[in-house]
Amino acid sequence: MQPRKVARAIGVIAVVAAVVVAAAFAGGLVLGSPTQGDAPDAPAYDTNELVAEPIEDDGSVTAPADGESKTVVVDMSHGNGVSENAIQPLVDALVAAGHEVQMYAGGSSSTIGSQSGAAFNETLRGADALVAASPATTYSSNEVAGVEAFADAGGRVLLAAEPPTTTSTTSTVSIPGLTSSGTVSAAGQPTNLAAAFGVSFGNGYLYDMAENANNFQSVYAGGDSGVADGVEDAVLTDATPVTTGGDASPVLTASDVSLSSTREEASYSVAARNGNVLAVGDTDFLTSTSATTGDNDVLLSNVAAFLVEGDKQSGIPASSQSGGQSSGTGTTPVMAT
Amino acid sequence: MTALDGSTRQLTLVLIVVGLLVGVAVAPQAWDRATEPNGTVAVVELHGSITGDSATAVIDDLRDARQNDSIQAVVLDVNSPGGTASASEQLYLAVKRTAGEMPVVASVTGTAASGSYYAAAPADDIYVTPASVVGSIGVRATLPSSSIPSGQVVTGPDKVGGSTPDEVRQRVETLRRAFVGSVFAERGDRIELTREEVSHAKVYAGASGVENGLADEIGGVDTAIEAAADDAGLSNYDVARMEAPQPSVLAQLGLSADTTSDATTEQTFDYRGVDTVQYLMLHGTITTDTARNATEVTANATA
Repeated sequence: MQPRKVARAIGVIAVVAAVVVAAAFAGGLVLGSPTQGDAPDAPAYDTNELVAEPIEDDGSVTAPADGESKTVVVDMSHGNGVSENAIQPLVDALVAAGHEVQMYAGGSSSTIGSQSGAAFNETLRGADALVAASPATTYSSNEVAGVEAFADAGGRVLLAAEPPTTTSTTSTVSIPGLTSSGTVSAAGQPTNLAAAFGVSFGNGYLYDMAENANNFQSVYAGGDSGVADGVEDAVLTDATPVTTGGDASPVLTASDVSLSSTREEASYSVAARNGNVLAVGDTDFLTSTSATTGDNDVLLSNVAAFLVEGDKQSGIPASSQSGGQSSGTGTTPVMAT
Repeated sequence: MTALDGSTRQLTLVLIVVGLLVGVAVAPQAWDRATEPNGTVAVVELHGSITGDSATAVIDDLRDARQNDSIQAVVLDVNSPGGTASASEQLYLAVKRTAGEMPVVASVTGTAASGSYYAAAPADDIYVTPASVVGSIGVRATLPSSSIPSGQVVTGPDKVGGSTPDEVRQRVETLRRAFVGSVFAERGDRIELTREEVSHAKVYAGASGVENGLADEIGGVDTAIEAAADDAGLSNYDVARMEAPQPSVLAQLGLSADTTSDATTEQTFDYRGVDTVQYLMLHGTITTDTARNATEVTANATA
């Protein structure tokens, strides 16, 4: 065979093979069904409303610095569920404005057999304001009488509470110097203290499934006067409603929210004021994580102002009350002159 | 003439007999041909808690079903309390893709709650029994610990926790919107509840589920298979079961939620030895043991 013929034969074979392969490829492209269908679209993943926006978190907590320096006592002696760290924004604002903050951890000086609450009332005597938040144990009748006298004399009182938790967490709390008052109440709520001022805390948390601060338990609350002045959208997490009676009146309201225990949707008041006493159904707004969330900075600044703007007579509750009143009838104690 | 007629008749008879014999010989094949299944309904099991691994197995099963020409319909056999959020979303997309190519019917043989309901939502129909459970449309997460354990060096404030508690809440809310939004995108025309009511994350027994539109029909798994075959136009069909992988012992322990056993959610869903934030679409009470894990990490780090 001549080399030229061989080359031509090979060429023909190559061309024919190429045509066959190309035909198979083209046929596969045209006739072959795709093994993978189109990727599904997930409509819910592709909207502008998918990503939850962070809640506005700026501003700062301030306390009025003009006027005389006031002493604010933060009660820690009842197993209170707030530590100094937890309420740092409030403490910082008060201290920065020149006021004094005392964390009262219990009367270590009181001797065995002394009247319960004597040390507590003694501390109040030198104070201008009291913060009682989330106590694990009840206040004794003597202490309640002391706080009543304190408020009547112009002392400012902030009562704050969370929804009650199970009592198992509170049974191990020890109260130095106040052993006789160690009965466990609805944990987390200064029930008998609030009752003395016509306020009652609720037994569930408030939630809002539609309009909330990125969680159903974070509800918006607002008001228009007093401590709620300028507060439109305070963010209260795990808040409990406050029921008022007597002279107490609501100051801060959460609208169209539901209560976990009844599932009833309504407007609930979350803060109430009775003279010199302010009761708030939330303690989280005092903490550094949520003190500036939403309008909480305005609310907390107003609360700080409320605490230091009182005008309290010194020496009340009088020492006689510490030893005298044990029945705790809720009547106004005798004022010291 | 008559002789010829007779031989013709004989020949005809012989031919008839031969034809009969041939016919009888071939008839079974014809019978088989007529009664041969014209397709297969694949029953894909989604059992046990949803982890990355168990979801991958189900997703592979569904891909096999799509690629196998003989499989014409899929029944999703759901009995799961859910699991991790990311794996549940993967399942949702895989089921949705399959439902775009062939009939997919979900049969709730026990629980289709949270993440497993997410997976069942794109099905054409959801079959329940009065005692089976659907719902729990919601998301949960463990909050990160922000403190840096002593004995460790990290390069940023969020290296330990991954995000701040507020950011975790935002992410949970985002996942809830995606979950509830997807359920309404798939079944919005049938659900009688508002988005807020769905977001309560209740579980509903089968009969109430049918009433409020989270499920479609009362019926067992065989009814669901029949419905799937019917949708695919199959009169004769095979049923092929694609079984879920057997859960590990740890996962089984982790499933026994709300018991005194020591197993925690971390042990089921977590990476071993590392305490990370878990985004779960899981129904039931869970035990978290963040404190103990943190202690272990600390102990390991200082050891």
